[in-house]
Amino acid sequence: MTNENINTPTIPTWCPGCYNFIILAAIKNVINEELKKGKTKNDFALVSGIGCHGKIFDYINLNGINTLHGRVLPTCMGIRVGNPNLTVLGFSGDGDCYAEGMEHLIHTARYNPDVKYFVHNNQVFALTAGQPTPTTEIGYKDKTTPLGVKLYPMNPIKLMLAAGCGFVARVFAEKEQIEWVFKEALKHKGFTFVEIIQPSVIFHQDKNYMQKFYSLQKEGHDKTNFDAAWKKADEFDYNVVKKIPTGIFYQKEKPMFEDLWPQLVELKKKKMSWRDLKR
Amino acid sequence: MRFSILFGGKAGQGVNVLSNILGNALTKKGQYVFVSRDYQSLIRGGHNFNVLTFSDKPVASNDSQIDMIIALDENTINLHRSELKKGGKIIEKEGKGNMYFAGRIFKLLCVEFSVLEEELRELKFFEENIKDAKEGYNETSEVACKVSLNKNKLKFVNGNQGISEGAVKSGVDIYYAYPMTPATNVMGELAEKQIENNNIVIELESEVAVINAAIGSAITGAKTMIGTSGGGFDLMTEALSLTGVAEVPLVIYLASRPGPSTGVATYTGQGDLDLARHSGHGEFNRLVIAPGDPKECEELTSQAFYFSQKFGIPTIILSDKHLAEGLYTMDKNSVITPSKKMTSLKRYNSYETDEFGCATEDAEKIIKNVDARMKMGKEIEKEAEKFSQFNVYGNRTSKNVVLFWGSTKGAIIDAMENLDAKFVQVLYLEPFPMRIKKEIEGKNIILVENNATGQLGKLVAEKTGIFIDDKNKILRYDGRPFLADELREELGGRLK
Repeated sequence: MTNENINTPTIPTWCPGCYNFIILAAIKNVINEELKKGKTKNDFALVSGIGCHGKIFDYINLNGINTLHGRVLPTCMGIRVGNPNLTVLGFSGDGDCYAEGMEHLIHTARYNPDVKYFVHNNQVFALTAGQPTPTTEIGYKDKTTPLGVKLYPMNPIKLMLAAGCGFVARVFAEKEQIEWVFKEALKHKGFTFVEIIQPSVIFHQDKNYMQKFYSLQKEGHDKTNFDAAWKKADEFDYNVVKKIPTGIFYQKEKPMFEDLWPQLVELKKKKMSWRDLKR
Repeated sequence: MRFSILFGGKAGQGVNVLSNILGNALTKKGQYVFVSRDYQSLIRGGHNFNVLTFSDKPVASNDSQIDMIIALDENTINLHRSELKKGGKIIEKEGKGNMYFAGRIFKLLCVEFSVLEEELRELKFFEENIKDAKEGYNETSEVACKVSLNKNKLKFVNGNQGISEGAVKSGVDIYYAYPMTPATNVMGELAEKQIENNNIVIELESEVAVINAAIGSAITGAKTMIGTSGGGFDLMTEALSLTGVAEVPLVIYLASRPGPSTGVATYTGQGDLDLARHSGHGEFNRLVIAPGDPKECEELTSQAFYFSQKFGIPTIILSDKHLAEGLYTMDKNSVITPSKKMTSLKRYNSYETDEFGCATEDAEKIIKNVDARMKMGKEIEKEAEKFSQFNVYGNRTSKNVVLFWGSTKGAIIDAMENLDAKFVQVLYLEPFPMRIKKEIEGKNIILVENNATGQLGKLVAEKTGIFIDDKNKILRYDGRPFLADELREELGGRLK
């Protein structure tokens, strides 16, 4: 793979004005910076799932796989096991992560492989035209839910804290926030969970949102304090929008999966993948 | 002469250890040994029994009548007395453990104590065991059968050990699994020696995670394998379809047990041939191969790696509980097919793709991709013809043909003496060897399968247009394997 750029010739098919364009640009900026700093394209692997977010694979020319719906995380984990020297980036939507394949999120937080994971949460199944996901608020209506959503949404930030995730963050789909959190995630050794709140311009756009975000870090939140993180996570329940904290809720490094297996430690030390291993 | 011994007792009393000690020792003494395991889905109590048959001629099955019962509990005698041959012996002694019986049985078979001692050195608690074993050995001077001494046979292994050995010899890098009987022991075998073999064995949260992680590893170029049984395989099938479109090399070990659903979890059956051939949505290439003994397990596993690497396809090794956990004397080395790692990380996709690895909906590109897959299917067929896709035994010119696959091989080979028939064992079920048509056309075809619908029979009909008469289908679906003597009768009655 040549190192000149990470563009593909594919023309994006997201809706005009979609926040995914901002996410794409921010992610590409940081990858380009990494390339300038000396990384090569072959040092990366990118995995996306199925849904609007999944198209990001088509617009970033990196190796990897646009995999099945809900299976981004085990795939990322498998890539890290196959080659523990790769920087593995995973992208999911809220359907792709909180609905289908939810179990993988909990277990990956427990395994703690060095995977940088981003969940594009637009609180709706957008690519199938607007059905509710596990983070859609009560009362939301679409063709499949004419009586309105009855179920209280789940809180993925609290879920990740409870699951023992060592890096729990939320940002709004805004360039600076994404670039900042991506860089912080790259510095962190282990699994990083970043939720990107990304309104769907067609199916789920609440203008109120914009005024409700505030930065945890600017407010002086102590990201090493689990109890404080838990309280902050409770401020937005994905149902009623009062205020929405963004930034890193919690960060604590713990043993990485790849460091617990002598075979993988050896591969890392030799900067090898299993493929390079001669038997 | 075949001599068979039934070891029975409660789970936890050590029936397996007992039959393994004897099987190993007899194999070293040059005898052929076969052991089948019958156990319930529980950990302590209940009733487990192993039947060990040995002979100085090859043996790979049991008979319905047994020569001796080693009863570790009373229940064993009540349940199995009726299977004992006239003049057969029941060995029992209240309050004694399996090592005492090990001593008894070695004496009864006239095997020197030193042979037993050697076996016990391989186990924990040597001092205690040897004391109990000595007591059993010195209990009587009775002789039941004098074992003749020959030269050492190769090894005494089960099908799962054959699969593991085949994987290691093929250079497996990564094995993922979620525990499920009867495939679990491959994970155990490989995990035990992972440091020594420099590979890695990882248990994940579900079969869905297992296959998707395996896909992640396989696309980095690692030789990757996974193992499961029917229910777990069902969970994997969406991702199986992904390996088909993205051309991911993946070896899948599918060890069957009776379904549908949880079925009979610790018993045997061949009900998953249709599943192995048809699972996964859409049309894509795959290899389905079925070994019939541990040597074939090693060989076909290496072929599974070869085909998966060469073509970038999923390859399914189909076995069942009887083969996976039955123990066989292996007297010849396997022939391993070497394989190179052919994959490297590039852009993979679950969508149909264009030349950049990006999703496409373009009609021409779709046609191009599908045609390329169909063409590869033909190449796989051609490549498969270079291998033994089926084995033929018996009288090649007979007007009778017995058709079978997988674990029924043991009972069939043991039953075939003096039967005027050609015996055809199908190893490659996908791609199906069309040359079989010539072997069976115009013959009196008898089908033997451990399932209720005759799935190989259906496959043969689909591929050759030859339909097997229902009267000629010998189907067993009670979770138990065929027994050689009963099968000989069944076959004999259908010969022309």
